[in-house]
Amino acid sequence: MFLIFKNSNMLEIINLRKEYSATTAVDDITFKAEAGKIFGLLGPNGAGKTTTIRIILDILKPTSGEVRFYGKAIDNEFLNKTGYLPEERGLYKKSRVIDIIRYFAELKNIPAAQGIASGIEWLNKFDIIQYKDRKLEELSKGNQQKIQFITSILHNPDILILDEPFSGFDPINQQIVKDILIDFVNSGKIIILSTHQMELAEKLCHEIFLIDNGKEVVSGNINEVRKRYGKNSVKVEFTGDISFVNSLPYVLELNAYNNYAEVELRENTPPNVFLQDLINRIEIRNFNIVEATLNKIFIDLIKKSEG
Amino acid sequence: MKKYLVIAKWEFLEKVKTKAFLISLFLTPLIIFVFSFLPGKLAQEEDKNIKVIGILDSTQIYFQHLSEKLSSLAFDTKQPRFLVINLYKKTVSVSKLMSEANKDVLEKKIAGYIYIVQGPATKPLVEYRSLTVGNFQELDIISTSFNDVHHKIEFTKLNLDPEIISGITKSIEVKSIKVEEEGKVSDTDFLTKFMTSYVFIILLMITIISSGGMLIRSLVEEKSNRLIEILISSCSPNDLLTGKVLGLSLLSLFQVAVWLILALAFMGSSVVTFINFDNIPLILVYFILGFVLYTSLFVGVGSVVTTEQESQQLTSYLSLIILLPIVIAIPVMQNPDLLLAKIFSYFPLTSPAIMILRLNNVSIPLYEIIATLVIMLISIYITIWFSARIFRIGILSYGKIPSFKQISTWLRKG
Repeated sequence: MFLIFKNSNMLEIINLRKEYSATTAVDDITFKAEAGKIFGLLGPNGAGKTTTIRIILDILKPTSGEVRFYGKAIDNEFLNKTGYLPEERGLYKKSRVIDIIRYFAELKNIPAAQGIASGIEWLNKFDIIQYKDRKLEELSKGNQQKIQFITSILHNPDILILDEPFSGFDPINQQIVKDILIDFVNSGKIIILSTHQMELAEKLCHEIFLIDNGKEVVSGNINEVRKRYGKNSVKVEFTGDISFVNSLPYVLELNAYNNYAEVELRENTPPNVFLQDLINRIEIRNFNIVEATLNKIFIDLIKKSEG
Repeated sequence: MKKYLVIAKWEFLEKVKTKAFLISLFLTPLIIFVFSFLPGKLAQEEDKNIKVIGILDSTQIYFQHLSEKLSSLAFDTKQPRFLVINLYKKTVSVSKLMSEANKDVLEKKIAGYIYIVQGPATKPLVEYRSLTVGNFQELDIISTSFNDVHHKIEFTKLNLDPEIISGITKSIEVKSIKVEEEGKVSDTDFLTKFMTSYVFIILLMITIISSGGMLIRSLVEEKSNRLIEILISSCSPNDLLTGKVLGLSLLSLFQVAVWLILALAFMGSSVVTFINFDNIPLILVYFILGFVLYTSLFVGVGSVVTTEQESQQLTSYLSLIILLPIVIAIPVMQNPDLLLAKIFSYFPLTSPAIMILRLNNVSIPLYEIIATLVIMLISIYITIWFSARIFRIGILSYGKIPSFKQISTWLRKG
């Protein structure tokens, strides 16, 4: 098993394109999601994330391009191994929790008894086993969300596709969900996480794919992306006159206030060099290297791509 | 288990458990009973009490015979129908007697009285005066009795043999008999046949409306909370469509079965006499074909709507078409060979109901049966084909109801 995980690009999306009469929702995108890694599908609202997911799940047919799993075109077997949590939540309100769990297990070809057993295990994990025989509508919004999350994972899928999975969860349950996702990924599953919450993607994703207007903006390993597009900036708190910094050759931009400044350095300049130049001229109270946040990169790149 | 069976099982079990279903299961037969059986039953159900009626015979010719005749009439229970009293008194004027009799009627001392007076041209004028004028059954009995008596008296005047008189005056009933193929005749009466057809048409209508409604509601619910996406990412749209149609159809048929059992339990054998069993197999064939056609039509329509209101609009239009056969049932019954009836027999949406009606009333040539069945099968095939295509795209489209142009592109691309 390990070898397979290591050698194959588990889920490949190749030159995918989806056109509607007036618009192109997905415009020739290609990526691969590997086992044991969380793949972040990121982008603003209406960028084409959900359309891409729907094509992967065979809900929509692409205009051209293909989705391959272990090198094969997707089939029913693939769908049985897939778990999906759509962005808009909702289940059968009038039905009992345990019946819903059983139905969704059976829809994924899991025998009823096994589905129920697995469902009970998850209900226990989320600490809502007491609602097993209640109707869904009698549960709180948060607990309904948990049930929906359970229905997407109770068949122990190989591929888990989550659209904004954390919306609607309180911090405690967000933590439970995060732990489950990390467990899943460590056991060699593929997770595709679609979100516009960048802090979250930053913490969880190994690989990202940034999409806007249906087109790829940037993709790759998150640290590489950060390095590639992150700006090299520092924050300084000081006493004295900092205006001389403008004449330093490696400084791109200076935003100076009374005793605080943000300085953007040329890409390959180590902040240490800058610090040395400062020490002789002004009194430094605080010197910070600013890590580029994904959020910042995201906004910058989107702005750039939209001109 | 096949996925469409999983879906069918779910749709069936979840709907069976709802309160709405339980209520309709028992309320609908009650409504049908009230609307279809009660008026007839009430009209048939007579007042079994003995009635005191008076006779005010100013001619003094008819009283003796009429009172004997009326007094001899009895209910099934052998209890006499009428107690007859003579209101005529030689010493009092007729107008005074009448006003007294009227008073008696108003005070409910008597149910009514028969007033007989010599009319022009030796014909008597007869009136039955009572508080109500609508009891046509009672009026019919009195009128028949009077005519009997009148005839007898007139014939006696001609000195005819009493045996000949009774032979002539015996009324003869005209029976309605349907001629079937090869000289076979069936003597089931019109009402039985009509009721059989009508019961099946009403059942067809109710099952279609109830299962079609459930189908659309369940689709609208799943569309509105995007459950449909999870379903479609777990099974093919055809599985989903088949599963839903199967589950909800079984539910409706289950409902019908419960009603039939209830009907048998409550009314026992009396309901059996209402049903003419001759054409039942063919009626069932038309019933099921009609049901499948409408259900697949509902699926296509149901998949394009997004809200409850839209679905209600569309279902009410469809329901109107289903009601059409009920409206034209009576003219078709009276004249099953009407051109209109024939046209509607070939039109797929009305064909099942009209054929169910006509089957029981005329002998329909074999070619006509085969032709309508073939038309039904072809229409079902086409409807399912169209509906499945519309379904595949419709279930994922939101917003306003798509235009015909949009649907036609779906059909080409789907």
